[in-house]
Amino acid sequence: MWKIEPDRLLRWLKSAAGISILTAVAAAAMATMDRGPHVLVNAVVMGGMLALVSMGLALVFGVMNIPMFAHGEYFMIGTLVAYYVFTPINTHISTHPDSMLSALGPLITIVAAMLVGAIAGVASEVLVFSQLRKRSRENWVMNSFLLTVGLSVVLINGHQLFFGADFKGIVRFWSGAPFSILDVFISRDRAMAFFLAVLVVLSFWLFISYTRTGRAIRAVSQDETGALMVGIGLNGILMLTMALSCALAAVAGASLLFMYPSYPSVGLEPLYMAWFVVIIAGLGNVLGAVVGAFIVSLLKVLTVEYIGSGWDFVVPSALIIVILVFKPSGLFGSEVRGILDK
Amino acid sequence: MLLEVKNLNAGYGFLQILREVSLTVDRGEYVALVGPNGAGKSTTLRTIAGLLRPMSGEIRFKGEPIEGLAGNKVARQGIAYVSEAMNLFVNMTVQENLSMGAYTLRDKGLRKDRLEFVYALFPRLVERQNQLAGTMSGGERKMLAIGRGLMSDPELLLVDEPSFGLAPQLTESVFESLNALKKRGMTIMLVEQNVTKALAVTDRGYVLENGRIELEGRSRELACNDHVRKVFLGV
Ligand SMILES: Nc1ncnc2c1ncn2[C@@H]1O[C@H](COP(=O)(O)OP(=O)(O)OP(=O)(O)O)[C@@H](O)[C@H]1O
Ligand SMILES: [Mg+2]
Repeated sequence: MWKIEPDRLLRWLKSAAGISILTAVAAAAMATMDRGPHVLVNAVVMGGMLALVSMGLALVFGVMNIPMFAHGEYFMIGTLVAYYVFTPINTHISTHPDSMLSALGPLITIVAAMLVGAIAGVASEVLVFSQLRKRSRENWVMNSFLLTVGLSVVLINGHQLFFGADFKGIVRFWSGAPFSILDVFISRDRAMAFFLAVLVVLSFWLFISYTRTGRAIRAVSQDETGALMVGIGLNGILMLTMALSCALAAVAGASLLFMYPSYPSVGLEPLYMAWFVVIIAGLGNVLGAVVGAFIVSLLKVLTVEYIGSGWDFVVPSALIIVILVFKPSGLFGSEVRGILDK
Repeated sequence: MLLEVKNLNAGYGFLQILREVSLTVDRGEYVALVGPNGAGKSTTLRTIAGLLRPMSGEIRFKGEPIEGLAGNKVARQGIAYVSEAMNLFVNMTVQENLSMGAYTLRDKGLRKDRLEFVYALFPRLVERQNQLAGTMSGGERKMLAIGRGLMSDPELLLVDEPSFGLAPQLTESVFESLNALKKRGMTIMLVEQNVTKALAVTDRGYVLENGRIELEGRSRELACNDHVRKVFLGV
């Protein structure tokens, strides 16, 4: 099955997915030679985290048919939890530098953010989306979209009301000298953020492909009625999906706290980036979103490097328009067929 | 009685389709539900399967009321529903679809037995094990849909239009499989467009028109009934 067949390889290379991946790799290689390895490092670190946010977005769209515009707010919740958990730990570390906490503290912080993210996801499903689902499934995509916009406004303003609009950030999670690879210095925080992203993406992939519950999630995304017919309880799966995808966003938010301090609308940038990713990758395509995240992040880094930092939203948007014109289902195709007819 | 439906009223929103439908299916029986297009045959099956909430009426399975239970709960009670649209998981392989069919079975040995049973019933599916369900032909998909239903080791199989869109030869083989199932003691309720065929293979039948049960009886007798002959067979 895993034998490389020349025909298939050639066909893949000529497909939209093949072309875009190869182009991205080539662009990364050229930019790295031109401007130095920091381009590659930045793109990879940001791509990892963007992958977490985008996967959640793709999952919520694929399984629940919700075009989620509040996803950035779960990222924001992650930053907020991380700030309030890590600040006291940090004070402790600075007075007791040798304590266990200096190694475990950041991990505790990120796990806490993950849990709170999951709880926030369940709460949103129970209090908001399941309420709409109970009442009417007509025009679901549009109505749920409007709900997510409302939810986003509520959460942003809730943050402002209860925690204030100031920047709540930390200097770093991990102290110690930066790593140096290929003559670039990578701070420990960045390296850990990337490592964490890889770990989470991998475990998520294993979960969704090989476990009974993971298969049930895929089944619901492919045919909800079929899932009911084989005995899969929808409510549980929908709740779990929401919990997972919000937890992913919160993990991203927490592990990037050293770059993005917590403030009410900190989630907007990751939200837009993640939407770029899922549109490029194909709506609802969770694994495509991982690859797409690296492509978008590379694009952003290259734009900042060569054109200027004001353009980092313009170039990806322009690319989306081009892609949608030529390939409306996204580069990697979508698992969601006729979603708007449902 | 394995299944007892009493005075069932059901429909979509304010539109009532089924009116006071009553029917029964005994253990081991092969029962046909026939009727013209739009009579409400599929609506009846959907309501029994828990995909549509009835407006009123009773549905009892093994003596227990199941009306108003969600579809997944009905499936867990032992009713497998093979819908008209089939509702397969199109991006999963044949094998994965079948294993999803056994979602409610925890016992590994039993799951394996069921898989062997289904593969023995539809040898065609063995050849297609690793093909995506969405890329299979209509007939193969029908077999897969029935096979997936059987994976949960159901006590009652509800089949909606197994012959729809199939070439005569394939129709024949699907009906043969259903016959084989019946011989092994499976209880089947069959909805079918092809009235002659349906009444030829089943034990008993119901005729549904405009959401009401107009006739019921032994299939052999229904096939000779004047009303049935006039409405469905045009004689
Ligand atoms: N989702 C729905 N919303 C509204 N009306 C529906 C819906 N599904 C079916 N109907 C209507 O209910 C009536 C009965 O439909 P049903 O599918 O039960 O008929 P049927 O007897 O299975 O017909 P066929 O032989 O064509 O499959 C039809 O008039 C149909 O238009
Ligand atoms: Mg029908």
